Amino acid sequence: MASPLTKTGRPRIGGAIPRFSWGPALVVLVILGLTGWSAWGTEFDLVELFSSTGPIERFISGMFPPDLSIRTLQTTARGIMETFQMSFLGALIGAVVAFPLAALGTAEVSTAGASRGERVLKAVPYHLSRFVLNVFRSVPDILWALVFVVALGLGPFPGTLALAVHSAGVLGKLLSETLEAVPSRPVEALRATGASGLQAFLFGRLPQAMSGFTSLTLYQWECNIRSATILGFVGAGGIGQQILISMNLFDYPKVATLVGATIIVVLIVDRFSAAVRGKLVY
Amino acid sequence: MPSAGGFALQDVAVSFRGVAALSGVTLAVESGESLAVIGASGAGKTTLFRVLTRGVALTGGKVTVGGRDLYNLSKKELKAVRRTVGSIYQAYNLVPQLPVGVNAALGEVGEMGVLGTLRTFLTGPDPALSSRVTKALARVGLEEKVRARTIDLSGGQQQRVAVARLLVQRPNLVLADEPFAAVDPVTTERVFEALLELNREGAALLVNLHDVELARRFPRLVALRKGRVVFDGSPEQLSEEALHDIYAGDDPYKEVAHPEPVDKRPTQPISLAEGRDGVSSH
Repeated sequence: MASPLTKTGRPRIGGAIPRFSWGPALVVLVILGLTGWSAWGTEFDLVELFSSTGPIERFISGMFPPDLSIRTLQTTARGIMETFQMSFLGALIGAVVAFPLAALGTAEVSTAGASRGERVLKAVPYHLSRFVLNVFRSVPDILWALVFVVALGLGPFPGTLALAVHSAGVLGKLLSETLEAVPSRPVEALRATGASGLQAFLFGRLPQAMSGFTSLTLYQWECNIRSATILGFVGAGGIGQQILISMNLFDYPKVATLVGATIIVVLIVDRFSAAVRGKLVY
Repeated sequence: MPSAGGFALQDVAVSFRGVAALSGVTLAVESGESLAVIGASGAGKTTLFRVLTRGVALTGGKVTVGGRDLYNLSKKELKAVRRTVGSIYQAYNLVPQLPVGVNAALGEVGEMGVLGTLRTFLTGPDPALSSRVTKALARVGLEEKVRARTIDLSGGQQQRVAVARLLVQRPNLVLADEPFAAVDPVTTERVFEALLELNREGAALLVNLHDVELARRFPRLVALRKGRVVFDGSPEQLSEEALHDIYAGDDPYKEVAHPEPVDKRPTQPISLAEGRDGVSSH
């Protein structure tokens, strides 16, 4: 018997690109419309960018040769060290704060047969911790830095706190999602043999999510070291503060040294973190 | 009233999103009894097992385990009942990242208090439990794997760890949900013997099976079709016609998410020798 494919004579499997249909065509039109509207709103002009290159050329040529004097190198080393310390402590504190909030913000596998009161009792810490994590995460770290600088004064401490709070929000959200995404059958099996919520979490969910959590924390540290470089722009310590001062003094050779050192350190941390994450056993 | 390891289902109904998975199931099992549950994919066998640990919500009926109304128990009482029910699954449902010894020790998880849980989590099981774990692993021939990561074991070895977990738990009721579907014939015999041994020691044994020939080795057979009990008796009473009715319309290539009539094709007689779903050759 002929299959439906051979009935027409020419089997039409189709290529990788979907065939025309009105739905995707409308989506493409909407994307094009949004692109034009955004370019108009932001006065996006490539002609202007490439025709007025004078100031950019002056800025870049002013950076060379970079300032490699002992004093600048010392300032750079101090700035880099402070940035590193801020990013590391920010990620660590963030992870410590994120952990319990993520645990509370993880949905239960099953509440079969539970009374309405029990369900409400379980929902309260879940929604509360999710709300706190959302607040921590939705405020950008530079805004947290402004808040802490106003409250505590200038320096790396408010910057570290800003990174810690934002990291807690990001890590908490990602960890709770990791905890929810682990295979639930081993957890259900534990609950079926009388394990409590804490026991199912400690022996069922956590071991399955631990390598993911470590990987996420390392990645957050990578993000923090990039963020820590700009927190100095609002007076929250780190190498960004030195870059801003040098920019304001038009000391472009020093800016070159500071920016170059920042790029090197960010690349080193990225590579190190990626290598460690690659070795994590799932 | 059923004794310690016995249970009774009275007119039990379970639905998922309005689709019936179990309808009017009435079944009584005494302590120390052993029986096999057979039926096509989607007949409600796994749902029946989940009902016995309150893993799904009931839409009707009553479930009594060890003489207690399972769906009207407090959280604490439910945990106490669940501690007496041991489960073993087709997919093992162990925590893959934990050492074999810890997975086996989790048979006792319901008996640990908060402090005991934390101690076990941080430093491993106490000496008494460790000794029982070692003995249980020795009974399944895995004593040398006590410190190995569970994920590094073969499927058959993992199923033996699951049996060791049961031996540590010493339940009054054993629920085995297709325990031989993913293991080799030698492991099948080994696991089968271990389950029978638990039964001889007094536990009621309920085994969900696709392999009809293996199911015939049990003194009592229960067959489900479309969420209803269609046979309950000895293997001798199970005729070819009855078996045909149990599996009639079963299409192994069609995903059956519910036991409602989905296949309107004329049914073909199924010969016993052909097996039921490709796993009966164990």
